[in-house]
Amino acid sequence: MRHYSLGVWIVVAIAVLSSVGVAVRGGHKAEGLTMWTFARPHAAMYRPIVDAWNENHDPGVDLQLLSLAAVEHRMLAGFYAGVETADLIEVERSIAGRAFTGPLEAVGFTDLTDRMREEGLIDRINPPSFGPWTSRGHIFGIPHDVHPVLLGYRTDLIEAAGIDVTLIETWDDFKRVMRPLIVDADGDGDVDRYPLAYWPTDLDKDELLILQAGGALFDADGRATIDTATNAAILAELVSWCVGPDRIACEAPDFTQSGNDLKRQGYAACYFFPDWMCDVWNKELPELSGKLRLMPLPAWEPGGLRTSVWGGTMLAIPKTAKDFDACWEFAKHLYLSDELARTLYRVGDIITPITEHWDDPVFDEPDPYFGGQAKGRLYIQMAPHIPARSSSPYNRRAIERVSDAGMRLLEYAKSGEVYDPGALQPKALELLHDAQAEVERQMARTAVFREGDSSKTSQDNPGGDG
Amino acid sequence: MSAARNATKSTLTHAPLLAAAAITLIPIAWMLCAAVKSGEDFKWLFLPRGDGFLGIAWDHLTFSNFTRLFGEAHMGSAILNSFFVSSVSAVVATLACAAGGFALARYRFRGRGPITVLVLGALIIPPPLLLAPTYELLYHLSLLDTFTGLLLPGIAPAFGVFLFRQATIQSVPRELLEAARIDGCGELRAFFVIVLPLLRPMIGAFMLITFLMWWNNFISPQVILQDPQKFPLAVAISQLKGVYYQDYGLQMAATVVSVAPVMILFLLLQKEFIAGLTAGAVKG
Repeated sequence: MRHYSLGVWIVVAIAVLSSVGVAVRGGHKAEGLTMWTFARPHAAMYRPIVDAWNENHDPGVDLQLLSLAAVEHRMLAGFYAGVETADLIEVERSIAGRAFTGPLEAVGFTDLTDRMREEGLIDRINPPSFGPWTSRGHIFGIPHDVHPVLLGYRTDLIEAAGIDVTLIETWDDFKRVMRPLIVDADGDGDVDRYPLAYWPTDLDKDELLILQAGGALFDADGRATIDTATNAAILAELVSWCVGPDRIACEAPDFTQSGNDLKRQGYAACYFFPDWMCDVWNKELPELSGKLRLMPLPAWEPGGLRTSVWGGTMLAIPKTAKDFDACWEFAKHLYLSDELARTLYRVGDIITPITEHWDDPVFDEPDPYFGGQAKGRLYIQMAPHIPARSSSPYNRRAIERVSDAGMRLLEYAKSGEVYDPGALQPKALELLHDAQAEVERQMARTAVFREGDSSKTSQDNPGGDG
Repeated sequence: MSAARNATKSTLTHAPLLAAAAITLIPIAWMLCAAVKSGEDFKWLFLPRGDGFLGIAWDHLTFSNFTRLFGEAHMGSAILNSFFVSSVSAVVATLACAAGGFALARYRFRGRGPITVLVLGALIIPPPLLLAPTYELLYHLSLLDTFTGLLLPGIAPAFGVFLFRQATIQSVPRELLEAARIDGCGELRAFFVIVLPLLRPMIGAFMLITFLMWWNNFISPQVILQDPQKFPLAVAISQLKGVYYQDYGLQMAATVVSVAPVMILFLLLQKEFIAGLTAGAVKG
């Protein structure tokens, strides 16, 4: 006893007591099929459906809630090692692409393309919603959502400034019509309000604006197409929104307390609103209830696309699933049900990708948070038009590099006092060329990606992605 | 004059240290405040402002985050798991490393040199590289989702073996072991009765380091354990992080709960910890 210090004995005592505690508690062994989901609201929505399913089916489903990082680490570790993971996995777009690295046969998910065709599922689901889950023409998951994007605006601020938003069709209209909002209310020389919450560091908004404008970071064969003239023109335009005398945008980040404070104060008057963002605002900014309305995004040119897309989830069945048929039946029951479609919208403001449910009256219900607007209907009108997306494993890296290029272009514009998008374009192209080279270097570094023709990441999919 | 000079010197020394300490404590203060706030009160940096004493809305403060933590989020089970994983691995790893280090330092056997080089070489392998092969190995051994599978790969870390090898060379005289053997002492008895007591400062420090390391270990339990009932605190807290919505009150309450036990343990054992780390720093 005297040989060792008090600390050692404390740790030994904890070890003995906790061992007894763990032994007494016993363990819980998962039975039937295991399903992983990463979002607490998803788990809450699925629980009643899973319980009802388990009453009449054997094997049943054991629904487990994990963090997104846990899903990613376990899923990839399992795929790389070729061992069992869960039987059904809900995968978010930001991590799905990594599972598509390498030859098709190395993808850990079961190819669902033939099953979907045979059972007519492809015709029941919004075509562009397949994009992120399709690699080289093969569909690896059932889409959970559509996530069209609208523009949310503060009616209190807009009305006070005497602005008529019906005059806005394009981003040029937006800049002109919203100009009265740019004010220095306290006279300290700093602008206190801007029309739009956007900054080049916000990767998701960079991507949704590039997609809306018709830009693309990868072609149909999975090759990087970052340094195109189109992308350079888009980047130059976006940067011109953030600098100079015609600046219209400011930084009011999502999912942070500081960003929420700026939103409360009305630092920006308009925000990008994918359907799920309505629920986020409802929960995080209840005091703004009734002060917001939604409208289609301004287009990049007259008659152009009035929406974009942000985020997404699929339900996939790994190749190591214990009982594929049972998994498939449950997956269809869960994702295709009208009950879930209504719950998704009522609980999470999410529009289902199952087009036959779009006539449900739930989508016509007025939402008090948005001044009684039937926002569901507005989102559904946009849903078939969301732009196609790439499922490239390098998509996130490409967006990061584009964002870096945007920030460097912003510094260039500030230091050289170059504010015209046309004048910024050559520099934008030069910076995007660097970004392209870096992404290509990374792609070349991934050994499995170079194996044969099948290693290319074509996005030849039912949604016409690419 | 001398007293005044000492006071000035002390002030000059302590003022920057106090400032640095204050800066270090800001996040902890924010965490403690956030743990007792809810809803709209997060718009205030620390405590919500109001008409109460010191201009603070004391009536807005709530312990509901802690209640929810142990009710909805089942954090009690995670605390037990963290104590179990950290303490058992600390005890077992200390014994295994001490035995390994002692063998490499004081026994002459074929392959001792290559094994020592192997231990040193293992130090430079980044742990994330071992994730997929470890996962595969545990799968084939049917040890996924078990505490055994979690603890086994970390039972004798190369860092610990090398640390105890050096400590043995420095603190355990060869002559003492030979004298014990002449007196009829067996090898196991010599290890437990002579070697371990002589390594006492290192044992205390290493045990505490290992305990803290396992307490904060996130990646291995996250990958190896599947059953939420087995999750330690680090993983259980990460489960509270939403993808599109953050419940800061609940997350900060969980962080307070996870920090408190190790902070108490460290405060109790800090002298021993420092003694272990500095043992041998000055040659006597």
